[in-house]
Amino acid sequence: MTQEQRTRLQTWLPLIVLAVLILIVGIYDPRFFSARNFLSVTADTMTLFLMASGVTLVIMMGGIDLSVQAVASMASCILAAYLQQLGFLAIPLAVLGGALAGFIGGLASTKFRIPSFIATLAVSGVVISAGNWFSQTRSVNIPGDLSATYLDWAIGEALGVPNEIWVGAAFLVIMSAVLGLTPFGRLVRGIGAQERAVIASGINVDRTKIAAFTLSGTMAGVAGVVMAARLGSGSPTLANEFLLPAIACIVVGGTAITGGVGSIWRTFVGALIVQVVRIGMTFMGVSVFAQQIVFGFILVAAVAVTMDRAKVLVIK
Amino acid sequence: MMQPVLEVRNVSKSFPGVKALDNVSFHINKGEVVGLIGENGAGKSSLLKVLNGIYQPDEGKVLVDGREIIITSPRHAFDSGIAMVFQEQSILPTLTVAENIFLGREEEFLRFGLISKSRMNAAAAEELKKVHLSTHPAMRCADLSFADRQMIEIAKALSLDSRIKTDVTILLDEPTSVLEQKEIELLFRIIGDLKQRASIVFISHRLEEVLEISDRVYVMRDGQIVQELAAKDATVKELHQHMVGRQLHHEYYREARQATPSAKTVLECVDLNRDGAFSNISFELHEGEVLGIAGVIGSGREDLARCLAGHTSPDGGNLLVNGTAVHFGAAYDATAKGVGLVPSERKVEGLVAPFSVAENMTLAALPKFVSGGIISFSSEKAVAADWVSRLKIKTPSTATSAGSLSGGNQQKVVLAKWRIAGVRVLILDHPTRGIDVGSKEDVYELVRDMTAEGLAVILLGDTLDEVIGLSNRILVMRDGEITARFEAPPGGKPTQVELVRHMV
Repeated sequence: MTQEQRTRLQTWLPLIVLAVLILIVGIYDPRFFSARNFLSVTADTMTLFLMASGVTLVIMMGGIDLSVQAVASMASCILAAYLQQLGFLAIPLAVLGGALAGFIGGLASTKFRIPSFIATLAVSGVVISAGNWFSQTRSVNIPGDLSATYLDWAIGEALGVPNEIWVGAAFLVIMSAVLGLTPFGRLVRGIGAQERAVIASGINVDRTKIAAFTLSGTMAGVAGVVMAARLGSGSPTLANEFLLPAIACIVVGGTAITGGVGSIWRTFVGALIVQVVRIGMTFMGVSVFAQQIVFGFILVAAVAVTMDRAKVLVIK
Repeated sequence: MMQPVLEVRNVSKSFPGVKALDNVSFHINKGEVVGLIGENGAGKSSLLKVLNGIYQPDEGKVLVDGREIIITSPRHAFDSGIAMVFQEQSILPTLTVAENIFLGREEEFLRFGLISKSRMNAAAAEELKKVHLSTHPAMRCADLSFADRQMIEIAKALSLDSRIKTDVTILLDEPTSVLEQKEIELLFRIIGDLKQRASIVFISHRLEEVLEISDRVYVMRDGQIVQELAAKDATVKELHQHMVGRQLHHEYYREARQATPSAKTVLECVDLNRDGAFSNISFELHEGEVLGIAGVIGSGREDLARCLAGHTSPDGGNLLVNGTAVHFGAAYDATAKGVGLVPSERKVEGLVAPFSVAENMTLAALPKFVSGGIISFSSEKAVAADWVSRLKIKTPSTATSAGSLSGGNQQKVVLAKWRIAGVRVLILDHPTRGIDVGSKEDVYELVRDMTAEGLAVILLGDTLDEVIGLSNRILVMRDGEITARFEAPPGGKPTQVELVRHMV
């Protein structure tokens, strides 16, 4: 395979895979092919996408953020715990909590010069405890009237389309613009491709990295808020089982785990692929508990396809 | 006629869009040293990769001792008597000297299924003797100097000759580019010894060296061998001409364009000191000046260059930029004060290879291209296109990835980056390392352009010749201190001998 063919394959493969999967599931169950169903599948995918969109930046930088699942859960607890008291303000507070967690992970990784997977794993532990503290280790209900007043933007409907999709689409545009049009996005890509050259060009790389981790935490916070709105409760284990699919949808979309290459729309497509696989498995009667096995396989297969292993001679 | 030990017959190898090797025929006789020269991209590396089993030729054949063989891997090449000393080192820093020399051949030292360290170290000591290296075989390679590691690389290749029945051919790919004069002389002595037992292919950008050490020289250009000549009848100038395919009419280092620096001091060191690297460094750098720093590896000049560019911090003394004391904690502090470094490791620190030409050029000055938080792609493209034409960079477009350009053009992109950032002091660390003759001249021309515009340049040349030819003044360093200072006006340049006396 030539470089050009490989590049083309990497660009289109995720979309082709998505189309094929939709066809397979549709043939299995024709009810799948309805506008209503497509909308609801897409809406269901958005929390996963929101969480993964921030991690995409970190992965493109050559790092990883393992704290997002815990951060989203914590954000849901903050929202549920303070919504009654603070009203709308509870939403930015929850998101801010996520941002802070991301910031601390980034700070720890850059200032102590430790790998991001260790730094964010450690933050993850702290954040789980924080989530338990905010929720007093319970699942906290969000009463229906509060939800209708403050969270309709996330779970209602506008122009016949579920609001989750509007929220997801808005962040797809925002995050794509951040990555594609701003100096920050360019530096994220540069750090992933050749960090030392970026440092030598007089760039404050630590600042960029911390910003990327903060953004990742922020998006995990947003995902946590939307998740809590959908489920009508916040809980310290709300987003459990989301980390693996989140990373899976990034690499399935074709973002290189080694950094430098990727985009937000790829993650969007990847999230849809993961969701369709999940639905397909449910249709075929695969137990929810066994589905994580499949995501593990998908993760490995996607990395194997997307990584240009001819260039990476040694894997650690 | 004598049977060549190694022969390549009508070999061609194509990659999409490029014919890397075009009907190349080449042979080497027993006990012969053959030089192989050519500009970057001429096909030298491809030829070596065919001989080393990394590439399979599309056409033609490779013969060892007159028998045709298909070399399938570097290990296969090694077992067939072809050893390669890589330009980029293949020494593993965490292993000992002995472990590196016999990497992959540990079974020779097995005793009851375990490696006998004492036997391996003893055998390694023998190999080290051949390269006159007094290093202990049990030392970790990470603790050795760069030059010593290169010599171990060579020892590793030479170890083949005591272990293999057939005749041995050793491929040396730019072995001298990281060595300094003393080590080069040693290497040449070793090659002299070695001719008794082996044949050697010697690749270098330094044509004087090629002529000195080789019996015959092959010149490659555009994937073909364009000339084969006996070294004793050839001159450097002749080799140049065959390589570039045109006359070198300009004066090489553009001495006529050497500017007289202004009296204005842009950078000054006062007793600058970094523990274990350099000490008592004091000098002034003026606007429009080229200040050369000469010294062997370990002289501290590389450390000094990195410190001046903020990559490391000094432990004592003062650094002044435009008369104000500064302290650089990181490279971005230095660039903020208008000091930039063109690093010697171009592909690691100079360029973000997958980035486009334009993205690389604007990397150090990105804020200048931002309005309303968003990069202005049109102004970025316009500025990049302007510099592409000003520096005559050969690239299909400003959107081409910089990594796909030739070494010389990549270096021009790095230079453009600093010009766009508007630096007033540019430190050039081996700016012509690994780039071809034609591009070297372009770089010299650019240095003259920059000083004409008032930039100050600190030059750590790739060769002494280069330092002498380009500089207004030269500092010589040894063991971390300045041992001599020379004025080097056009027509009044110091000689290499004068400098070397203070270097070693």
